[in-house]
Amino acid sequence: MYPILLLPALILLFGVFGIPIVRYIWLSFHTSSVLTDLLPIPNNGANWIRLFSDSRFWQDAIQTFRFAISSVILEILIAISIAILLNQTFKNRGIVRTITLLPWALPTTIMALSWRWIFNTPYGPIEQILTLFHLNSINILSSPKIAWFATVIADVWKTTPFIALIILAGLQTIPEDLYEAFKLEGGNEFSAFQKITLPLLQPYIFLGLLFRFAQAFGVFDLIQIMTGGGPASTTESLSLYAYLNALRYLDFGYSSTIIIATFILMIIFSLFTWILIRQTKSLLSIR
Amino acid sequence: MRKQNNLICLLVLWSLLPFCWQIYTSFSTPESILNPFTYQENRWTLQNYIQILSANPPFWRYLYNSLLVGLTSTAITILIATPAAYSLSKAKQHLSNTLKLLLLAAALFPYVLLFLSLLEIARAIGIANNLFALSIPYSALSMPLAVLLLNSAFSDLPNELEEAAIVEGLGLFQRIRWILIPLIAPAIASTSIIVFLFSWNEYPIALTWISDSKLITLTVAIARIAGSSVYSVPYGAYAAATVLGAIPLILIVLLFQKQIVSGLTQGAIKG
Repeated sequence: MYPILLLPALILLFGVFGIPIVRYIWLSFHTSSVLTDLLPIPNNGANWIRLFSDSRFWQDAIQTFRFAISSVILEILIAISIAILLNQTFKNRGIVRTITLLPWALPTTIMALSWRWIFNTPYGPIEQILTLFHLNSINILSSPKIAWFATVIADVWKTTPFIALIILAGLQTIPEDLYEAFKLEGGNEFSAFQKITLPLLQPYIFLGLLFRFAQAFGVFDLIQIMTGGGPASTTESLSLYAYLNALRYLDFGYSSTIIIATFILMIIFSLFTWILIRQTKSLLSIR
Repeated sequence: MRKQNNLICLLVLWSLLPFCWQIYTSFSTPESILNPFTYQENRWTLQNYIQILSANPPFWRYLYNSLLVGLTSTAITILIATPAAYSLSKAKQHLSNTLKLLLLAAALFPYVLLFLSLLEIARAIGIANNLFALSIPYSALSMPLAVLLLNSAFSDLPNELEEAAIVEGLGLFQRIRWILIPLIAPAIASTSIIVFLFSWNEYPIALTWISDSKLITLTVAIARIAGSSVYSVPYGAYAAATVLGAIPLILIVLLFQKQIVSGLTQGAIKG
């Protein structure tokens, strides 16, 4: 092994991951805002005390969790279906696969703007179709009850192809003989799916789940452009709140506190999800 | 068979419709944008494209900026990740597993949250508002995935190959450059494309680092257009911007679909 070859990569990683995290922890115990000319002054944990009584932070935490869980679950379900479909043989399979990949490759900013236009009231296509049939407007992006779900739909549209590809790769590792043997034993298609496909796909599904959950928990571009966090900050994610605190309210200390708290929450939620998955697995008795 | 075809149609529609709607809007006159489903006399126009291409700075400038950042980030990433991946593939089992786990954790990390500290660092060393400087965080953020992908390619090569090269008297650099790199070229290609896509699509760091409107990247330009007014109605120019911004990516996906798929799935199968 030649450690010297590894060194540049490690230095770069330390600079971009290591230093920021240490800096955040340190800053979270300091006041660094317009009031102090952004000079950090120790404040005996005042940021953390503020965080615990900050209802907007907790509302955003719940919203971020709701967003991440809903999109990831929908994505996994749709991705499994897409992967099974793409694993079959049909004409133009290559083209269909390419088309499926497109939403994933587009920048989030571009697709967020596109979806904002689709959900626009009153000129977006959805509202226009409602008007065409003389139905009432539903004001998707300005109604606090459903706006968050519109952001979930946009996220599902964009990231499902990624999970579908991973699951498709998993499907292709399952030998065809297994299914034939299972059929000879008298199993039907559904039980083959349950007994062969799902258990063998498990590591791939798990990987997609883990990867997507972490990403969805940090959702930023999509929300900032599609709704800006509104209406009434019902779609605001934790990273957007941290961003607003840093660059709009110029409170670097509190922003760092939110960021560290988000890390902690993400780790807790991930562990929680992991335990939940294990529990459901044992319930469904899938090994 | 019938059912399968319907499902495939549904999948294609679902993937394309939102984008088709943008194309449709981008060629519509303001009047027809307001009434998309009713008959209009002069429905089509190029005005939206003319408007954004003659703006100051013109729209292609952002595409150029993004291309520049994308290419430098990809070059830096590959240059640093290839030797690192090689070194990792020669490490002892125990050490390489630990390092791989750390890299995986870094790859999973929601990097958006790093924006504030990275901005502070950029300001402290005076590289904010510098287009090329963006390649540093981009390379660092793509590093974990790049090293993991290239490492799995190196590990697949038979050991005898290198032993033979050593017997022939080739040094470390020569072995990597002339024997190993040509053999893992496909992995380098797919890694490069994934890194390029990441830099092209990255938004939060570009947003906070660059404020000069001549230097902003495509994603930030799109966001600025979006932010100018939430409810403004002449949406044609926005749509034209999203279409122009998407074309390079559609080309990349069409040309490099194989590499993208293998890059994304390699990690999943071996990791």
